[in-house]
Amino acid sequence: MNAKPLFSAALLLASNGLLPGAQTLESAYRTNGPAVQASFESVRDLLQSSSAVIQRGRKEIAYGTVISADGFILTKASELGDINGLTVTVGEKIYTALAKLAEDPAWDVALLKIPAEGLVPVSLAVDSPDPARGTWVVANGATSRTRRRPQVGIISATAREIEPAGGAVLGVTLEEKSKKLRVTEIHEKSGAKTAGMKTGDIIVAAAGKKVADREALGKVVAKLRVGDDLDLTVQRDGKKIEMKVRLAGRADLFGEEKTRNDSMSGDFSERRSGFPRVIQHDVIANAAGMGGPLLDLDGRCLGMNIARANRCETFAIPAGDLKSLADRLISKGAGK
Amino acid sequence: MRETSAAALTGFFTCLLLVPAGADAARPLVNDKKAPEGRADLDVIQKHLTDSLPATRKATVCIDLGEGSGSGVVVSPEGLILTAAHVTGGVGKEFTVIFEDGKKVKAESLGLVASSDCAMAKITEEGTWPHIEVDRGDTSKLGDWVYSLGHSGGFDKERGVVVRLGRLVQVKDDTVQSDCSLIGGDSGGPLFDLTGKLIGIHSRVGMRTQENMHVPVREFVKNWKGMLKSEFIGEGPFAKKPEKGKGFLGIGTALRAEGGLKIDKVGRESPAEKAGLKEGDVILKLDGVELTTKEQFQDLLKEKAPEDRVALELLRDGKPETLTLRLGER
Repeated sequence: MNAKPLFSAALLLASNGLLPGAQTLESAYRTNGPAVQASFESVRDLLQSSSAVIQRGRKEIAYGTVISADGFILTKASELGDINGLTVTVGEKIYTALAKLAEDPAWDVALLKIPAEGLVPVSLAVDSPDPARGTWVVANGATSRTRRRPQVGIISATAREIEPAGGAVLGVTLEEKSKKLRVTEIHEKSGAKTAGMKTGDIIVAAAGKKVADREALGKVVAKLRVGDDLDLTVQRDGKKIEMKVRLAGRADLFGEEKTRNDSMSGDFSERRSGFPRVIQHDVIANAAGMGGPLLDLDGRCLGMNIARANRCETFAIPAGDLKSLADRLISKGAGK
Repeated sequence: MRETSAAALTGFFTCLLLVPAGADAARPLVNDKKAPEGRADLDVIQKHLTDSLPATRKATVCIDLGEGSGSGVVVSPEGLILTAAHVTGGVGKEFTVIFEDGKKVKAESLGLVASSDCAMAKITEEGTWPHIEVDRGDTSKLGDWVYSLGHSGGFDKERGVVVRLGRLVQVKDDTVQSDCSLIGGDSGGPLFDLTGKLIGIHSRVGMRTQENMHVPVREFVKNWKGMLKSEFIGEGPFAKKPEKGKGFLGIGTALRAEGGLKIDKVGRESPAEKAGLKEGDVILKLDGVELTTKEQFQDLLKEKAPEDRVALELLRDGKPETLTLRLGER
């Protein structure tokens, strides 16, 4: 019985993109052609004043969303890397003195500060319900030294949580031997490492329950989320040791398996899952195009772009969540 | 004579009057502008889109094949579905269809066009189903604003149906291309004009995000009757025709003195076992033909292809029974 549908999960990849002898629309008039983008000019002005371009040398690595007149900027944390050597452009002015004040790993957002005054912060649409499917949105497109260009699209789906790909993990490799669960490897960036777990430790209990095999431990972990702390009891040299292990996302530690959809998705964000809540739109950006504001036709900021998920799906942190996140990061960074 | 020409003339005028009037009412003027001229035009596009979405979303389904999924759209209250041939993969296949609200129903594929990627299916459960209108008049043109719906990457109740906006950027007889970007799982999903009429079905993509190919509805309209009759139309890349002679039942038989063939072996996991055939059952007829020898039985089966249905008349414990089953692949 081999008559099974083979490629149903994927869309067929066309062998030739161009159809000879067809009527074709000039690129200027396509959805993101210059003639169409021209009608979004008033919103583009806001991208010019209220989005930031973050560069390492000449290379754009991310955009930023200006949230205060005196230079607080939010951006996508995981794209930044070493803060030294980065420049931030707002309007036409380039800032080289920037500081990273705080970071939120759950949302993958960093708070930057540049020495500026009189900037035009975005106007966050905090009191509105989630934008409905079909609402026009404008985000940062390609940019030149002096000019921000728009990229347009619509809201595509219902706002929701994006669970971490692969679920939550301890970040260890285990061996099951004579009804004992022994740790054989510990990932460098795992919560297990931070909690002081050592190879050779025998896990005997999790969340107060006895565990003697992977299945039992798996059942406990499956109920938890990335960032949750799990109480573990391990046996080491005959002694019992209690520890609290913070769970990590499987994809964050071990990377993600590439799917067929990924192979047709170009340059997507490395960190693209594990967000408490996002709105989804169809603006086509690349991984370096995240961190900028998502604006509606009135110029209100509906959110901040946080992940290019694939070929046609981009996620943004909704305005309301972004506001509370910004407040939290600013008070956290106040001491610095 | 005079009467006849008057009638013809009336008919002629009726045509002239009705067609453009209807087209004007349905066709948003913004489509005839080379580009939107400002905020007002953008608002018109958004309004058409958001007004038509509730109905188009309700009719857009996920086609769950178990080992993958595609999309489709319901086009009649009885549950006729249009989708892509590479999604159904054949005639008479059974699968589950999921509406946006999570309702799951059983469906079965009807005919398909293997050369252009058209396919039809039907919900097999009783009910009146949310559906949309097909643009049978084929009114869409190059440059029209359009939107795609689909259950991208499979069904996701929290997320719902995914919508993307674009324009028709290339038009050809059997393919239209839009810049509504598509991804796996969208296959077979609907492409709508701004009034919410179906103008195409998603088929395939190029590596560039602007290359998204759809089968135009005229290709469906052209093959409508044949697909309704579960015909496998054309040859081509999108579906492989089951080969005659490769049909597989999975039983061993011996001739019975009183007539018919007695089953002395049922293959494990075979179509016969799945259909409930048992050792000791006596097959009297296949598709109404009385069985007289093993060779004749095998010759009859040789005329069948995988996925073909066969009707068996049986004697089980001396009692007559009939059973219909679908052949597997040898």
